Amino acid sequence: MQRRPLLKKTLGGAALLAAAGAVPLALRKTRLREPPAGRKLLFFTPAEYSIWAAMADRVLAGGEGPTPAQLDVAGKVDAFLAPLPEGDRKDLKQLLALFENALFGLLLGGPPRPFTKMTAGEQDRHLRSWQSSRLAIRRTGFQAMKRLTCAIYFASPETYASVGYGGPPYELVKSILGARK
Amino acid sequence: MIHKGDEIAQDLLLKPDVCIIGSGPGGAMVAQRLARAGARVAVLEEGGFYTKDEFDMQEATAYPRLYQDRGNRASADLSIAVLQGRAVGGGTVVNWTTSYRTPDDVLAFWREREGSLLTPEILRPHFEEIERRLGIEKVDLEDTNANNRSIYQGCKKLGWQVDTVSRNVRGCLRTGYCGMGCPVDAKQTATLTYLPDAVAAGADIYADCRVRKIEWSGSRATAAIGELLHPGTQQATGRTVRVEPRVMVVSGGALNSPALLLRSGVDQGPVGKKTWLHPVVAMGAFYKERVEGFYGAPQSVASHHFSRRGEGAGFFIEAAPVHPMLASIAMPGFGAPLRGRMALLGNVAATLSLMIDGFGEGEEGGTVSLRPDGAPRLDYPFGARHYECFRAGMKAIARLHLANGAREVQSFHLDPVVIRSEADIGGVDAAPMGPNLFAAFTAHQMGGCRMGADPARSVVDPRLRHHFVQNLFVIDGSVFPTGLGVNPMESIYALASWASTHVRDALS
Repeated sequence: MQRRPLLKKTLGGAALLAAAGAVPLALRKTRLREPPAGRKLLFFTPAEYSIWAAMADRVLAGGEGPTPAQLDVAGKVDAFLAPLPEGDRKDLKQLLALFENALFGLLLGGPPRPFTKMTAGEQDRHLRSWQSSRLAIRRTGFQAMKRLTCAIYFASPETYASVGYGGPPYELVKSILGARK
Repeated sequence: MIHKGDEIAQDLLLKPDVCIIGSGPGGAMVAQRLARAGARVAVLEEGGFYTKDEFDMQEATAYPRLYQDRGNRASADLSIAVLQGRAVGGGTVVNWTTSYRTPDDVLAFWREREGSLLTPEILRPHFEEIERRLGIEKVDLEDTNANNRSIYQGCKKLGWQVDTVSRNVRGCLRTGYCGMGCPVDAKQTATLTYLPDAVAAGADIYADCRVRKIEWSGSRATAAIGELLHPGTQQATGRTVRVEPRVMVVSGGALNSPALLLRSGVDQGPVGKKTWLHPVVAMGAFYKERVEGFYGAPQSVASHHFSRRGEGAGFFIEAAPVHPMLASIAMPGFGAPLRGRMALLGNVAATLSLMIDGFGEGEEGGTVSLRPDGAPRLDYPFGARHYECFRAGMKAIARLHLANGAREVQSFHLDPVVIRSEADIGGVDAAPMGPNLFAAFTAHQMGGCRMGADPARSVVDPRLRHHFVQNLFVIDGSVFPTGLGVNPMESIYALASWASTHVRDALS
């Protein structure tokens, strides 16, 4: 139901992306990050994996508990997205390309670097500019990336302690079910 | 018998008396009533069939498995997150058990405006039977958790109407995991009640069965065409399904039912129009003491003090469980501010304001159309009526929590409004409102195949038969002409129980 109009609806984002791609600045390469050994990517290219991992680092910065890299949030997002239908896959990949694109960022007041090569402070400013942008396409894109990143991270039992959650009461359930038998 | 998609090794051709598409409260009820009346019934359900042993109380498992779009359903611009069940038993598997009869004034509105036949007297025996069957009983205040009790206490201090709600449970442990599938079978879902009844009376239920379209000719639906899915991946197994019934019942729920009609070219009348969501805005109240909204019955208190406000849209106030994944999606911001709020999750009371949509003059609600791949697309634009109601709801929630001693109350705007005293409440009016500038949700989807006497204003007639395709019924929340103003599950059951008589008449 969602995602399909991400880039097409409000701005003609695909056209914008195509125009941006014609300029050398837009072709600056992504800083690559290796997935953990044994993680085979199903949805992302290595560059897309690296963009998501860099974004997750900043979205989830400043808290206790495991880092997004330790949980391989980007790898879990990759597995979650693998069954997406073709139209959704294309839109999400375009979104990531736009998010990383140095020229698009520069046009909107950012530094002349792809997201993965920005400093942490620049990355936070980039995320804030997407979050509260006047352009609906960027606000929507930010929400899509942030929600999925948070969902994957905070649904992981390793993070429960960081939010004061004791986890599901398995023992209570087991004992009651046992007694009922 | 219940059949799973990956257990069926050949293409299916079925010729039952009745084919029911969807197994939520509408479809399950019709299946039980018709099977017990001696009809041969086949139920086709896109979601999987799960039992309590598979409910592990983990959000990471439950949402992808038991919710539409693997937990990621949303309006087209992502401004409204859509929580909607997808399993044998439909929304009854994942809802938070709050059970209400349809308000009398809502039924009166439907009769006056749309020619509905429903009266409190007509529905009463159906409600009574459902309440017995599902163990629907009012919660004692001492059985509520602190998250819900904060609403009760705050409203009482302000002199506002508030009460405990009725829940469809038996032997509830109040673990707090209703939304992830009840691990102890306390929640009386359709999967534990009306569907087993239907199976015992000879009905066949096909899980993991996605219906692509309904074939029809002239004024008759001739076949439901679909495919079987692997329960885990939700990818097609390669096996097809063709069901040729005498009567077809569409019970896919709001959003999916209108989408199925649109895919099938059964698009006479306002199919997909006037979709209602009870749009939700939330506030987080931070207390000094632990609230632990993770545990305890997720919803057990509600205030309908503001349900009827005259000019502005009404709203009602309920609690939401505070599990980490769901909370993190709603919490605004990112980085340290987000992590700081999440670190205090155990001290947060999460309270919802649900707008009662559909009663404003000229109110259009949402529209369901089709994406290029045939899946439903929901557009639900907000207008001045929504923003006024959202702000009124946020302010009411802030006031009740301040009255109850909350340290501070925060909105879910991108830049949260932080309220520590009455003087801060005006900040809600100043905060910018627009798509994706604040968190909005829906857990109650209604309309899109509205019932009524006028074919230009409705999709099905007052007996829920399609206006033009005479052996086709739509029986689920999509036929409601407006939002309900209460949680919809029990109303859908009762409507389906009543409408089953008309399906039976169509068979004979």
